[in-house]
This record gives sequence, C-alpha cells and structure tokens, in this order.
Amino acid sequence: MLRYTLKRILTGILALFVLACVTFFLVRLMPGSPFQTGSVSEQVVEAVEREYGLDRPLDEQFLTYMGNLLRGDLGVSYEDPGVKVTEIIGRTWGITASLGVPALIVAILAGTAFGIVRAVSKNQGVREVISAVGMILAGIPGFAAAILLLLIFSVQLKWFPASGLLSPAHYVLPVISLAIYPAAVIMRLTGNALETEMEKDYVLFDRAKGLGRKRIIFTHALKNAWRPVLNYIGPASAYLLTGSFVVESIFTIPGIGREFVNSITNRDYTLIMGLTIFMGAVVIAVNLITDLLGAWLDPAVRRSYQEETG
Amino acid sequence: MRVLDIRKLRVQYHTEQGECRALEEMDLHVEEGEITGLVGESGSGKSTAMLAVMGLLKENASVQSERITVCGEPAVPGVNIAMVFQNPQSCLNPSVKIGRQITETVRARRHCGRREARERALELLDMTGIGNAKMRMRQYPFELSGGMLQRVVIAIALACEPRVIIADEPTTALDAAVQAQILRLLRGIVEETGTALLLVSHDLGVTASLCRRVYVMRRGRIVESGSVEDIFYDPGEEYTKQLLDSVKKKRKLSEGTKEESLLLVENLTKEFDTRDGVKGVTLELHEGELFALAGESGSGKTTLARILTGILKEDSGSILYRGEPLSRKGRAGGRIQMVFQDPYGSLNPCLTAGQALDEALRAAGSPEERTDREKRRERIRNMMERVGLTEEDMDKYPSEFSGGQRQRIGIARALIVRPEILICDEALSSLDAVTQQQILDLLLDIQKEQQIACLFISHDMHVIRRISSRMGVMYGGRLVETGRTREVCSDPWHPYTKLLLESSLEADPLRARRIRSLPAGKQDNGGRGMRDKGCPFAGECGYAMKCCTEEEPETYRFGERAVSCFLYSEEHSGRRSRDYIMTSQI
Repeated sequence: MLRYTLKRILTGILALFVLACVTFFLVRLMPGSPFQTGSVSEQVVEAVEREYGLDRPLDEQFLTYMGNLLRGDLGVSYEDPGVKVTEIIGRTWGITASLGVPALIVAILAGTAFGIVRAVSKNQGVREVISAVGMILAGIPGFAAAILLLLIFSVQLKWFPASGLLSPAHYVLPVISLAIYPAAVIMRLTGNALETEMEKDYVLFDRAKGLGRKRIIFTHALKNAWRPVLNYIGPASAYLLTGSFVVESIFTIPGIGREFVNSITNRDYTLIMGLTIFMGAVVIAVNLITDLLGAWLDPAVRRSYQEETG
Repeated sequence: MRVLDIRKLRVQYHTEQGECRALEEMDLHVEEGEITGLVGESGSGKSTAMLAVMGLLKENASVQSERITVCGEPAVPGVNIAMVFQNPQSCLNPSVKIGRQITETVRARRHCGRREARERALELLDMTGIGNAKMRMRQYPFELSGGMLQRVVIAIALACEPRVIIADEPTTALDAAVQAQILRLLRGIVEETGTALLLVSHDLGVTASLCRRVYVMRRGRIVESGSVEDIFYDPGEEYTKQLLDSVKKKRKLSEGTKEESLLLVENLTKEFDTRDGVKGVTLELHEGELFALAGESGSGKTTLARILTGILKEDSGSILYRGEPLSRKGRAGGRIQMVFQDPYGSLNPCLTAGQALDEALRAAGSPEERTDREKRRERIRNMMERVGLTEEDMDKYPSEFSGGQRQRIGIARALIVRPEILICDEALSSLDAVTQQQILDLLLDIQKEQQIACLFISHDMHVIRRISSRMGVMYGGRLVETGRTREVCSDPWHPYTKLLLESSLEADPLRARRIRSLPAGKQDNGGRGMRDKGCPFAGECGYAMKCCTEEEPETYRFGERAVSCFLYSEEHSGRRSRDYIMTSQI
C-alpha cells in the first residue's frame, strides 16, 4: 500500500510535468503575439517582447519557466502586468470550487438515489422512465442545459436570478446545470453495478437468511456497487472544471473558467499556462485521492497494508 | 412428524420461447430429525425445486403447489427453513466481515441486541468446529479457506434456528478431505439439534454416507423414492440403475503397450509466492498408458499440467521426450495437448465449434492441413463425428451446447492435431455423474484406439481407481507417492494417500456411513507453506516424527512404488536387507 501510494504520487508528478511541457509549447504554437493589438507599432511590440523575454530562443524560455514553476512562481499576467497569476488563481478558485463541489455532491446523491431506484424498483414503468430520462440528460450538452435552465427558470418563470453569485439562490441554476451530466452518468453506473450485484449468490443467500430487502440493498449490495462511482469521480471533476468554462460565461460568474476563456482570447501566455497547470493539478490530485480511497476501501488491500506495517 | 411437507409442487418458467415446465407435481417430505437425500443429474430440477420451496425463484418463474409447509406452517426462509448453497465463496458478501454476516442473521431472527447476537454468533461458530472463532469474526471471507467458509455458511443457516435445513450440493466445491469433515459436521448438527436436513446432491457417495431416505429425480420428476438401502442395493427404476452403474462400472484397463518411456520429467520445480507451485517432481509417462494424478486443489496438479503443455515455464528441472530434452517451444507444438477443467470458460464464445477446431489445426496441424482449407474441413468433420457430435454442430456457438457437449468439443480440439500425449485436467469434475460417464467412455475409447499416452488429473479417487494403470499422488507441490493404481489404492503407503482414499465416499450406504476424516478443524489451519522446511504434510500427519518437520524426505523407491515419506527411509525402518520386501508402514 505504501509503495503503491508513493508510486501513484510519483506518476502524478510526472503527469503534471508532461502537462506543463505540452501546454508551454502548444501556447507558443498559437498564431499571434500577446502584444499585437492593431494600433501598436512593430517597434513597440518588439521592445515589449524583449522586456518579457519573448525574443529569446524557445528552449531558454522553457527552462526559465520550468525553473520558476518549481519555485511556485507562475509569473505575471501579460494582460495586466501588475497582477501575478497566482493571485488570479487565488481570487477565483474558491468561486469555482463553490460551484463545483456542490455540483459533485448533488450529482453523487441524485445519481446514486436514482440508480438504486432504477436497479431495484419492482415497477417496470419506473425503471424504464428513469433509464430513458437518464439517457436524455446524459446526451444534452452542458451549454445547452445551462441556457435552457436560464431561459425557463430565470427569464420565463423568474424563480432564480440569472447572473452573479450574491445569494444562495444564485447558486441553484449553475450548480444544477453542472450536475446534470455527472448525475446521469452516476445513475447509470450505480444502476448497472447494483443490478449485477443483486444477481449474485450472496444476495440469494441473504434472502434465504431471512434478511429484508432494504437491508440486503443498503448493507450488502451497495457495499460492492460503489466502486465504479468512486472511479468516476476523477473524470467527473475534470468534467466539472471544463463545464465551468461554459457555465461561468453564461451566468457571468467571475471564476476560473471565465478567467481561462478570457486568457485565451487575450493570448495571455502565462495566465493560460498557470490556469492549465492548476486545473491539471486539481484533476490529478482528485484521481489520486479516489484511487487511494478505492484501494483502502477494499478489505483485501487494507489487510495487506495492515500486515505490512504490523 | 413431517417437518417439511411438499405436495404437488409445480414450477414453470416464462421465457421468450414460451412456457417451460421445470418441475411437475413433486411430492417430498422430510421427517423430524432425519436426513433425506435428493439425487439427480444436473438440470434435473433439483435446485429449482429447492429455490421454489424457499420462495427464492426469479420473477419469470411461477410456482404452484398444494402445500409447502414446515411443521404445518408455511415455509418462511430464515425463520423455519434455511439453506446452505454449493459455493461458499460466492455466498458470503466479500466486503462484509464474517461476524457481521452472522450477527445480522441472529438479530433478524431473534430481534435481540448486538451483544447477545455476538455471543450467539461465537457459540454457533464454535459449534461448526471452526478454530479460533473470535478471530474469524473479524475476518473477511477472502481470508478463509473454502472449508472454513462452508462452516460459516452452516453457522449462518443455524442462526436462523430452522426446523429444516436444505443443503444444496454443500460439498461439491470442496476437496475430498474437507468434504468428509463438512459431512460429519452436518450429521453431528442433525443429531445434536434435531434439525431435519434435506441433502441435495449429484454425488451418490455423499448421499449414501448421510441419508436415511432418498428421492431420485429426473427431468423435473421424482422417479423413485425409498430407504437408502432399497435404492442403492435394489433400484427399481432403469434410470436409478444407470446412475449407480455409472459410478460402479469397472473398466478394462489399458496397460501401456510398451514399457518404453515417452515423457520423463525430472526434478521439475516452479515456485509461486503463495501456493500451487511444484517442487522436485519426477515423473515417467509410458507410451500408450493412462497415468492418473490425484491430490487436493492447490497441490500443484494443474501447475504441473501447465508446465508440461508449455503454458508456464519451469524454474528448474528437465523434461525429456523420447530421451531428448524438450524445450518449452517444442511442448507448445501440438505433441502435448490438454483438455481443460471448465468447458464453459475454455471455449471462446465468439467462435463456432468448427472455427475453434480450425484454429487448432492451423496452429499445430500437419503441413498440408495448415494450407489446405478443404483438408481441414474434412478432418474437422471426422473429428466431430468421432466425439459424438454432428456435422451441423460445426456452425454452432459454445452457448448452444450443454456442458457435456462442450467438453466433447474440448476433447476434439485437443485430439485434432494428433497429439502423442493428452493431459486431462479435471476434465470431468464440472459434469454430473451420467455425463461424466459418457465423456469418460469417449476419452478412454479414443485413448485406447489411438494409443495416446494420457495424464489424467482428478481429485476423484473412484474415477482414478477405475481407469488408470499407474497413478501418482500430489501434496503441497510434491509427488508423494507413485505406483500401480491397484496397489496404491488397496494398500496406500503414504499417510496422505491413505487419508485421500479414506475420505472418498463410495456409493454404498453401509460402507459410506463410516465417514473418516481428519479430526475436524485440523486441516483448516492453513496447512504448511511451500517454503516451510520439512515434509509438507507433517502438520497434519498422524505419523509425524521429529525429522518430518526438520528435513524433507527423499523419494524412496521399492520396485514400481515410490514414496516420499520418512517412514520408508533406511534410517527409520533400519532393516532393509537385500531381500527385505517393503510393506506399508501405516
């Protein structure tokens, strides 16, 4: 277990390094320069580029950047030279997390609940309806769902505000539009896993033991059915981050997603890279945690760990 | 008094192809404190009937009956009736501790507090003879052996405090020695608690050993019932006779034609981290003979087979084929073929029977056959007929065949490349008695007709005794005894061979009732690891001496008999003069 953990952390760091390299060169491949805005003369652009070190050879720029990265310095924003990239991240990540974390929780709760109903309901109609709705919801793209929710619940019905994050009511629509897709996926995962578990011999034996249906589902079958859901949380967190680009733009929320979209249009090299690396780190960390948690929750793995440490 | 009373039980399945009758008008009863048997081949509807009684069938089954009562009241699972299933590994939830799985049953039955339930669970575990019950409570199913798990399952069934327990093939998934322990346990429970037991089994030996009355079932009907002596000694129905014959029939043994060594294995060793390895195995296979290999699961039989076929690579040791070293590549070439244990898992579900055979031919057939499509087809057609299948079967997928038919395809696949050595790894153990007999007949006919040398791996001593000319016994990765089958079976020398023979049950009530086994619980202490020094059997051996745990016995040869036990060493017996004839020391 200890060795496994160390190995996973090392691969995580390696993945982060590869990510940093790829984004560095991809950003440089984008046509145009961050300082090329119509009214500026060639000389000025060159002068500014020299000041920022953009005239140096690419490999030198790369080494400088990586060196700074190791010290936790992501540089300053090109667009707004007074502000450090780390400051921008510090300002915005909380806002995005305040949408993402509730969205993840909503998705897990709703997805698991509907998944259980879909798997064990005796009413075939209920099962079919949940499956069909789940399929449709999983098929709607995030931006369409966000716009639809905005149109219906805030423009037409005026139940919820349309933009900003001033009160709890402001959170409802963005959180829901983020949660729809992962909820549908989790519903399918839980439903399928639980259906398979319910067919197994130990469930039959539990029934022969005289246990009630609820007990069998909640204390026995679910204990073995959570695994795919846990494994999905990593990809789900990545989805929530990319989903936040769209949702934050639509609901005009000043989070990381909107900052990212802006940085791309502005060709703000350092900001793009800083945000990408930050988000990459978050996704890698979430995957790492869920993997370790999954291993820890497996009694066989846990026992071998306990034996290792005595 | 009738504890379990079933009258006119009928079960129908509603399938897409329409109605399907699984069970017709079954009448069955179990008296108080009695062990009643239900025998029949697989697919005869035994399990369906039992699940119907328990009310555990799926929604697509409709159950009708005049009455299903336990002591006059309707049967309620977990209250007045409980069940023990075939496979203890899959019956227990892998992620719930043993203790919890027992206490929840106690609590559901008695509506009592945690502490009382815990005490009761410990009591039940002690009753089943599991050692160290307190520790077992905190363990997960994967930490226990199959025999221990079946004890836990029985403890759970007892926690329901039922009037009758249905045991559906309770020992089929277990080794012979463990099987005997579990059967003794079941008998003890009936004697102690007065609970009635309905024992469902396809194994006539198991039935004969425990039951007082027997029902014989075939195709969803009870064809015969009566006392165990009547049924086993004087069967009325043709089908019952057939069942009994299939177990008792003697075969004319096919002796090796020449005493020429075809395959010589010397000092073969392959070690794994945990178990299942082989250590220092020396074995000779004569041309055209049938050599049987016995031993419990985990004794390394399958590993040995896999090394011989080139699936695994040995750590050390040599394999000589007609006196010449055989490289691993040479083994894979088709001269040595294998029939696998599981006819379901060993056929690719996406290939038709014909395609599977074609693939084997293209890989290892003769040079002409590899290139000529028509020749291959011709050969496949002949082979299918030889194993008792038709030409039309060539285009069917494995899912369309029964277990027995699949095993025929497995045999055809092995034989189609004209091997000189055939290895059958428990090729019969997943089949029921009658099908076993058919497949065995087929195998032996072909073996005799084509004079193929055959290494027949089995845990079933009855089969081995009937078909093989020489045999070997494996334990803990070592070959502990080899010799002529007749001699080994009638006069075992190694203590483990003796145990193995004693714990295999005959389909003869008077003999089988004396179930002998190790003292309960002893076997279950995990045995000794491959890496421990000394004899692997020393921990369980009644004859163990000081030297047994300290050094490893060599293999001592006496004519055709070879035995690896200190009882036969020069130092121990100490009286080997030139003309001394060694006899069994146990």
